[in-house]
Amino acid sequence: MSDVYAVSAAPHIKQNISISSVMWQVVLALTPALLVGIFFFGIQSFLLTLYGVVAAVATEALIQKLRKVPVTISDGSAVVTGILVAFNINSAAPWWLPVIGSVFAIAIGKQIFGGLGFNIFNPALLGRAFLVASWPTLMTAGWKSTSPMALFKSSINGLVNLPSNVPAVVTSATPLGVVKALRDTTQVSADMAETVMNNLASMDTLQNLFWGNIGGVIGEVSAAALLLGAAYLAWKHIIEWRIPISYIATVLVLTYIFGGINGLFSASIMLPFFHIFSGGLILGAFFMATDMVTSPVTKKGRIIFGMGCGILTVVIRLVGGYPEGVSYSILLMNITVPLIDRYTIPRIFGEVRK
Amino acid sequence: MKYYLRLGFVLLVITVVASGILAYINGFTEPIIKENQRKAKEEARMEVLPEAASFDSISFLNEEVVYAGKNNEGQLAGYTFVASLYGYSSDVKTMIGVTPDFKVNKIKIIEQTETPGLGANCTKPEFQSQFEGKNETVMLVDKDGGEIVSITGATITTRTIANSIRIGLKFLKEIEVQSEPEEIHREEVTE
Amino acid sequence: MSVIKEFTKGIVKENPVFVMALGLCPVLAVSSSVENAIGMGAAATFVLVFSNIFISLIKGFIPSKIRIPSYIVVIASFVTIVDMVMEAYVPALHKNLGLFIPLIVVNCIILGRAEAFAGKNNLIRSIFDGIGMGLGFTLALIVIASIREVLGAGQFLGFNVLPVTFKPMLVAILAPGAFLVMGLLMGLMNLKKK
Repeated sequence: MSDVYAVSAAPHIKQNISISSVMWQVVLALTPALLVGIFFFGIQSFLLTLYGVVAAVATEALIQKLRKVPVTISDGSAVVTGILVAFNINSAAPWWLPVIGSVFAIAIGKQIFGGLGFNIFNPALLGRAFLVASWPTLMTAGWKSTSPMALFKSSINGLVNLPSNVPAVVTSATPLGVVKALRDTTQVSADMAETVMNNLASMDTLQNLFWGNIGGVIGEVSAAALLLGAAYLAWKHIIEWRIPISYIATVLVLTYIFGGINGLFSASIMLPFFHIFSGGLILGAFFMATDMVTSPVTKKGRIIFGMGCGILTVVIRLVGGYPEGVSYSILLMNITVPLIDRYTIPRIFGEVRK
Repeated sequence: MKYYLRLGFVLLVITVVASGILAYINGFTEPIIKENQRKAKEEARMEVLPEAASFDSISFLNEEVVYAGKNNEGQLAGYTFVASLYGYSSDVKTMIGVTPDFKVNKIKIIEQTETPGLGANCTKPEFQSQFEGKNETVMLVDKDGGEIVSITGATITTRTIANSIRIGLKFLKEIEVQSEPEEIHREEVTE
Repeated sequence: MSVIKEFTKGIVKENPVFVMALGLCPVLAVSSSVENAIGMGAAATFVLVFSNIFISLIKGFIPSKIRIPSYIVVIASFVTIVDMVMEAYVPALHKNLGLFIPLIVVNCIILGRAEAFAGKNNLIRSIFDGIGMGLGFTLALIVIASIREVLGAGQFLGFNVLPVTFKPMLVAILAPGAFLVMGLLMGLMNLKKK
């Protein structure tokens, strides 16, 4: 996603980069997040990721054989898809969940459209959406459990210093689940809700969120590890700042305005940071929204794309039925990419504005 | 002109014949349909309040009649009403049998189109039986501090059902407690 | 073309769903269980056969300018008959199919056959065409519904057919599952034709 891919006026500069070098560097950038996943959730998370990758690569090879086109599994794109599918699964999931997710992602999400470069949607997110629609309980139920083999047990919802008399509503497995539960129920007093919200935005909770000491899926828990990988990709010019930054900035502004439970601007100044570090936002913004095939090619278009993702994410988190909306918002914005590209084509040098 | 009159005439003939046939068929299917609907409701009432032998209408709730059921000796056996609220993707309507002390006797989901495999699991007997014997104060989902165990992955549906029943129970108590002092008074007089 | 050919063409070669892609709304909507699929298929076939019969009988009297409204009146009448009779005698099935019975009126297979076939051919051929197309529609519905019900609920016609350890793939009985299954089946049909 470096500037060299942008649609721009001549002269065009060519750089010696290939799909496979890009993809393998993305794999490298995802490794820290996987290590954190193993640290908190046990070796099971590594095995699930491995199953996802093997299934993705095998599906890609099989379908390319059937389609009688060159088999391109060594370019690493299927590996990235497999990792990202597995990253969206919790560590207590059965082995076949990442396998089916990866098979669907590659077969329906990518190869049916004609392979890499022709897919409309991010294949990994499509695989995740398919899994959530098919086995919603398996996709969400295992957040609580950490494997006995984990080096360090993550605390379930990352909340600290909660008063002992909070109702069961706050036992949700993830921090965002707590927010959703608070918004849904009428059984928590305003004071109690205030206390819980303040705890969500407290420094201790934010630290847990940042390092990954929370319940969640394998790849999303540690903002620190993901940011490390993202920084590497940005340094290598593989991802470009516009989509993630506009995405995260939109979420920051909107959650500050609408995030509080007592009307506009009632949120504490820390709450937007809670929203940024919780759920899959960091993973989605840096590794999924920036997918080269399914994001706009123009600079202006990328900013519009990022803002759209941010608006949809906040709407789903604060108003919708799901606690988290990153994956659906990116999928929805994927559809708009051709339109965004069409309306943001830069004018040719010398062309007069109509 | 004459041509268009002919067109109109042909259409008229076709529609008249069609409506004649439809009217004839409607004539003998409509009573059966009405009877079916009445029977279905009656069966649901009998199912949720089997102790009752006859039902008297006492009020209206959610555009449905609230009944007071009497047993063979003419004593109050309980009440039935239809609870209805919007769930995850549809109105969830539940027929509820209530004992005279305002506890749930039995419930039966009579109408819903919630998500198959999740919310639609509310029609399972295992789910419905947990409402039996519960009163208004514990008629809340476990997450809200009540005693109703949520269907996995379908808290919204469960909450809808629990809330709709709680509203109904409250309503029933209000209308019945108002008429109660009169009865007590009458008993005192006869003594 | 022989009468037998009029009958068989609707089942595979000119299958209304997989080849002509007609009447997809009910196909997508009621194919979540085999029982509903059979009910819908039977209702649509009934309407199709009788509207074909009537239209081929009265085609000589209808001026071509008003043929479409006339066809629609005939079709709507039969649909209403099916709707009323079903509600009276099989209320459970009627409740499941619900809204989609009245919508048979706008099922393009039926008007399509009236316009393209029954309005031009004689009674016998129209009957066989109606039966063939109706069967093709019903078969397509049953095929889609079988896949969706087995995958999405682990059942076939309401009976458990898969081991208890099988975790039903819910998406198959939800709306996206209908599109996925139909799309994949259409793709397979096209692949075979090539």
